[in-house]
Amino acid sequence: MSSQDTRSLWADAFSRLVKDRWALISLLVVVTYALVALMATLGIGMPDWRSSLGIEYLAPSGEFWFGTDLFGRDVFAKVIHGTKIAMSVGLITSLIAIPIGVVIGALAGYFGGWVDDIISWFITTFSSIPNIMLLISITLIMGKGLLSVYLALGMTGWVGLARLIRGEVMKHKEREYVQAASALGGGHYRKLFVHILPNVTHLVIINTSLQFQTAIKSEVILSYLGLGVQGEPSWGTMIDDARMELARGVWWQLAGATLAMFIIVLAFNILGDALRDALDPKLKGK
Amino acid sequence: MTNYIIRRLLYLIPVVLGVGLIIFILFNVVAGDPAPLLLGKHATPQQVHELREQLGLNKPLYMQYFDVVRSSFTFDFGRSWATRQEIFEMIKIGAWPSLTLTIPAFFLSTVISILLALVVAFYRGKGIDLFIRFLCIAGMSISSVAYILFFQYFFAYKLGWFEISGYEPQFPDFFSYVALPGIIWIVLSLGPDVRFFRTVILDEIYQDYVRTARAKGLGEIKVLLKHVLRNAMIPIITYVVIQIPFLILGALLLESFFSIPGLGGITLNALNSSDFPVIKAMAVLSSIAYILFSLLTDILYTVADPRVKLK
Amino acid sequence: MLFATLLIQNSKGSDMESPLLSIKNLTVDFKTTDSEMRAVDNISFDVPMGKTVGIVGESGSGKSVTSLAVMRLLPQPPAHITGEILFQGKNLLGLPEDEMRKIRGNNISMIFQEPMTSLNPVFKTGAQVAETLMLHRGMDKKTAWEKTIDLFNEVGIPNPSQKVHAYPHEMSGGQKQRVMIAMAIACDPKLLICDEPTTALDVTIQKQVLELLAKLQQEHKMSMLFITHDLGVIADIADDVVVMYRSKMVEKDKTRSIFETSHHPYTKGLIACRPDLGANPKRLLTVSDFMDEEGKGLMVTRERIQVFEKDYAAKNSNEVLLEINDLHTHFPIKGGFLGRQVGEVKAVDGVSFKLQRGKTLGLVGESGCGKTTLGRSILRLVEPTSGQIIYNGQDITKLAAPDMRLLRRKMQIIFQDPYSSLNPRMTVGEILTEPLVVHGLGGSKREQLDAAKMLMEKVGMKANQLNRYPHEFSGGQRQRICIARALMLRPEFVICDESVSALDVSIQAQVLNLLLDLQEEFKLTYIFISHDLSVVNFIADEVGVMNKGKLVELDRADRIYKQPREDYTKTLLGAIPKGLPKNLESFINS
Repeated sequence: MSSQDTRSLWADAFSRLVKDRWALISLLVVVTYALVALMATLGIGMPDWRSSLGIEYLAPSGEFWFGTDLFGRDVFAKVIHGTKIAMSVGLITSLIAIPIGVVIGALAGYFGGWVDDIISWFITTFSSIPNIMLLISITLIMGKGLLSVYLALGMTGWVGLARLIRGEVMKHKEREYVQAASALGGGHYRKLFVHILPNVTHLVIINTSLQFQTAIKSEVILSYLGLGVQGEPSWGTMIDDARMELARGVWWQLAGATLAMFIIVLAFNILGDALRDALDPKLKGK
Repeated sequence: MTNYIIRRLLYLIPVVLGVGLIIFILFNVVAGDPAPLLLGKHATPQQVHELREQLGLNKPLYMQYFDVVRSSFTFDFGRSWATRQEIFEMIKIGAWPSLTLTIPAFFLSTVISILLALVVAFYRGKGIDLFIRFLCIAGMSISSVAYILFFQYFFAYKLGWFEISGYEPQFPDFFSYVALPGIIWIVLSLGPDVRFFRTVILDEIYQDYVRTARAKGLGEIKVLLKHVLRNAMIPIITYVVIQIPFLILGALLLESFFSIPGLGGITLNALNSSDFPVIKAMAVLSSIAYILFSLLTDILYTVADPRVKLK
Repeated sequence: MLFATLLIQNSKGSDMESPLLSIKNLTVDFKTTDSEMRAVDNISFDVPMGKTVGIVGESGSGKSVTSLAVMRLLPQPPAHITGEILFQGKNLLGLPEDEMRKIRGNNISMIFQEPMTSLNPVFKTGAQVAETLMLHRGMDKKTAWEKTIDLFNEVGIPNPSQKVHAYPHEMSGGQKQRVMIAMAIACDPKLLICDEPTTALDVTIQKQVLELLAKLQQEHKMSMLFITHDLGVIADIADDVVVMYRSKMVEKDKTRSIFETSHHPYTKGLIACRPDLGANPKRLLTVSDFMDEEGKGLMVTRERIQVFEKDYAAKNSNEVLLEINDLHTHFPIKGGFLGRQVGEVKAVDGVSFKLQRGKTLGLVGESGCGKTTLGRSILRLVEPTSGQIIYNGQDITKLAAPDMRLLRRKMQIIFQDPYSSLNPRMTVGEILTEPLVVHGLGGSKREQLDAAKMLMEKVGMKANQLNRYPHEFSGGQRQRICIARALMLRPEFVICDESVSALDVSIQAQVLNLLLDLQEEFKLTYIFISHDLSVVNFIADEVGVMNKGKLVELDRADRIYKQPREDYTKTLLGAIPKGLPKNLESFINS
C-alpha cells in the first residue's frame, strides 16, 4: 500500500454508494428534480402553467403530455410547478427540522442529567400528540399557505431525529475514543464537536433523505386538505382536483401528480436505503 | 414493578401539562381572538365582548392556561363552538365508528405484515425477498390520498364492490362500509410494517444463539418461528402497541373521504371550522392514551423479555 | 496436567482404528460480488476415535471456519466449500440438508466461544437443553426435562432442579458455558467440537470447564475437536495438534512433539513468544525471530534466541511517583420509588499502594474485581468517592478542572480495544497531534506533525502513514498508534488498561517488548492492568492481586509467583494452563 490510496470512511462510503446502480440512478433522479425546481424558481425555460393553451380536459397527447385541466391549462406544466413546490418544502423543512433535531438530541445525549430530563419530557410531549393533528393545527393557526406548511413540517419533523441522535450520542460518549479525549485533557466542546458529532453525521444524512420525502408526502396531504399552497398548483391540489374529475373519466391530473411524486419519493427511499448501507459503519463487513 | 407503574403514571402530569402548554400557546396565544371569526364580519363590539366573556377569553392568560389543564384532568372539555354539543358526548358517539374501522384493519395489517416479513426473511437475498422489498418501497412512494381516490373510484364506483361512502353503526352492517377503507388502511400499512419487521427479524438472524439453535439440528423454519420470532417480538411489540392510541383517533383522511362519522371526521371538521375546544380535547385525550400505552408497552416488554425488570 | 497425562495413557494403542472424522483437502472460499477470500486452504487431518485434536492459530487463521464447515453451519453462498469431510466414512459435504440436520446436535455437537450470547435470552436454559432431547431422541416434554436435570447435574451446575428454570441472564458466564456443554452432550455425540470454549471466561472458571470437558470426554467416549488460540490450553487437553497460519495448515503432530521439536518457523515463534510463568526474561522472543514477513524460516542461532533474566533491583529508586491512600470508588444502585439510591457497588474498596518512579506495577484480577475502575479513578476519568491520590507529592483528588487538565499531560492511559479507542473519522495525523492541539503545545502545525512522525517511528510504524485512517490498520498497528498518542505529551506515568488483551499472542509479544523499550527511553512509570497473569509476570516489577475491589496481595513479581501468600492468589495461579515446557534448544537450526 502506498500512502496515496488512503481513504476516509466518507470516501469509502461514497465509492460504495456509486457502485450501487440503483442508488446512482436515484441520485440522478434527485439531482434532476432539484434542477427542474431550481429552474422553475428562477423562471428559466419552464412551460407556462397559467395560460389556457388548449380546451378543457384534453386527454394526454403529443402536444399535452399529461393532457389539460378544467381551464385548458397544461397539466405537465402544472406538474413541473408542483415539483418546485415539493422540492422547496423538502429543502426548507429539512433546514428547519434537522438542526433542531441535532442540537436537541446532542445536548440531551451528551449532558444527560436534568438537561436530558427536560429534553426527554419535551420530546415525549411532542410525540404524544398525533403528528397529523399537530400539522393541521399549526397550518390552520398560522394561516393557510406555503409558509405555514414550511413551519408546520419543520417544527414537527425534528422529533424522530432528536431521539435518534440522543441515543447515539449517549453510546458514543462511553466509547473509548471519547474517554481517550478526556484523558488527553479535551473539554466538552472538543469531545462533542470534534469527536462525537462527526461520528453521528451519517445518521443525519440518512435522516435528511427521510425528512425530505416525508415532507413531500405531507405537503400533498395538507394541500389536498386545502391548507397548503393557495392560488398555484401543487401535486396535492392537483390530486384534490382529481376528486371531482375521476367520475368524468379524467384521470390524467391524478396520474400526473401521483407519478411525479412517486418517482421522487421512490428515489429518496432507495437512496436512503443505499445511504444506510454505505454509511453505517456497523454494517461494514457484514 | 408497582413502583415503576406509579412513577410512570405520575409522569402523566408533566406530559399533560406540556401538551396543555403547546395547545394553549397554539390556540390561545398564537391563534389570536377567535370571537370575530365565530361571529362573522358584521358582529358588533358588544357581541364580541359577550362571546369573549362566555368563552373565558377575557381572563388573564395564566387563568386560560389553567382552564386548559383543568379540563385535561376532569375530562370536562365544555361544548363545541360549532355544534354546541358536549364534547365528551361527541367523543363517546364518534369512538364506535372509528374503532370498527381501525381495529380490524390494524389487526389484519399487523398479522399480514409479520407473516410477509417472515417469508421474506426466510428467503433473504433471494428473488422473492428483493421483489417484496421493492413492492414495499414502491407502495410507500405513492401518496395516501392517491390510494384513497383511486380505490374509491375503482372498487366502489366502477366495480361497485363496496359502498362508496356512509356508515351504519349496527353489527354486522358496518362491515360493508368499513371494508374498503379498511383495505386501503392495510395497503398503506404493509409497506412500512413489512420493512420494519424484516429488519428486526434479520437483526436477530445473525445472532449467536441462532447459530446454536442450528447447531442443535433444528430446521430453518423452526429456528425462524421459535427462536428468532420470539426475540424479534420484543421490538415488534413496541412498534405495534405504540400505534394503538392513535387508532382511537380514527383515520382522519379515510373517515372524511368515506363519510364515516368517527373521531377522525370530527377532528377534521373541528379543524376546518376552527372549533378549538374539540381540537384541544382530542389532543389531550390522545396524549393521555399515548402515555398509557407506552406504559403498557413497558409492561408487555417484561413478558416478552425475561431480562427486563421494571424498577 | 493430571487429566492430560491420563488421556495420553488412555489413548495408547487405539491408533489402528479408522478415524472418526477425516478431513481431506478442505478448502473454503468466501465469494461475494466484489471480493473473494480464501479462509481455509487445502487442509487435511484426522480426528481419531476417543481422542482430542486441537487446532491452534491466531485470528484469521481459518480455525473457526474449519469447525463451522464440519458442522455445515457456514451460509452457502457466500461460503464455497470443496474437499471431503468424512464422518464415520460418510462425506458430510454430500449429505442433503435434512440428513445433516439429524447429525447436528446428535452425532456431532458444538460449543461456542461466547456463552453470553450463544444461549437464547428469552427461553429458560432447561428448555433449550430439553429441546435437543425432544428433537433427536423423540422424548416427551416431561422425560426430556427430567433428563435435562440429570445433565445439569452431570455438568456440575448446583441445584439442577431449580436451575433448569433459570434464564440465561440469571447465570454466570461459567454456568452458561456448562449449559452449552449439557446441550452438546445431551444426545451422546461421537464428536464434540469446541470453538474457543473458555476464551471468554476467567482463568479459574476456564480451569473448571476444561476439567469438565476432559471428564465428560472420558465418560462419554467422545472425540473432540478443540479450537483455541492458547497453546497452554492446547497442551493440557489435546492429543494431537494442528497449527494453522493464514488459512493454511503449517504443522500437525502429537502435542508433545509440537512443543519439543516443532519444525515450522511459525510454530516455533508461537511457542517461543508466549510469556511463561516460570521464567522472568528481559524481553520476549517474537515470531519475527523465527520467520520473515513472507513466512520464510530464518536461521535460528543460539545468540538470536538467547534471553536474559530480568534484574529487579536495577529499577529501584527512592522516589515515589504515585501514592494511593485508602481509595474508594462506589457506584450508586438506583431503584425504588422515584429512583432513590438503594445501595452501592464498591468497585474500588479501600486500595492503598506506592509506586516508585520508573517501575511497573501490574494489577491482576478476574473480571469485575475493580482493576479497570481503579485505573480510571487514578486518572479521575471516574471520580473516586474518597481517599487520596498523591501524584508527585500533590493530592490530585482535590484539583480543580483546569489544573487537572494541565496534569493530564503527565498522566496518560492506553485502552484495551484498539478498534474503539481511535476516532474512525480522524486521520492518524489528526489523532496524534490532537493532544498537542488541546494543550496548545508543539508549535506550528508542521512541527506538531514532525513530532507525530517521530513517535510513529518510535512505535514501529512508518512516518508516511499519518494521512491514513484507523480502519486501514490491523489491530496491532492500531494499538501502536494508541501508544504513540499516549506518548505525544511526553507523560511520565502511563496506565495500560488491558492494552494487549485484544491482540494475538504473536502481536502481543511485539507490543509488550515495545512498551518495555519505550519505558526505558522515555523513563516511564507504568500501571499495567490485565487479567492475564503470565503477561503481568513478564512486564511488571511489582504485582498487585485484586479481588472484590480490594488489593489482596502486593509483592515483587517473581516473589508473588513463586511464594504466593494469600489463598486467592494461590487459586488464581493454580488455574493458569501451564502448557508444556518449551525446548528452545531444539529450535536452533544452525
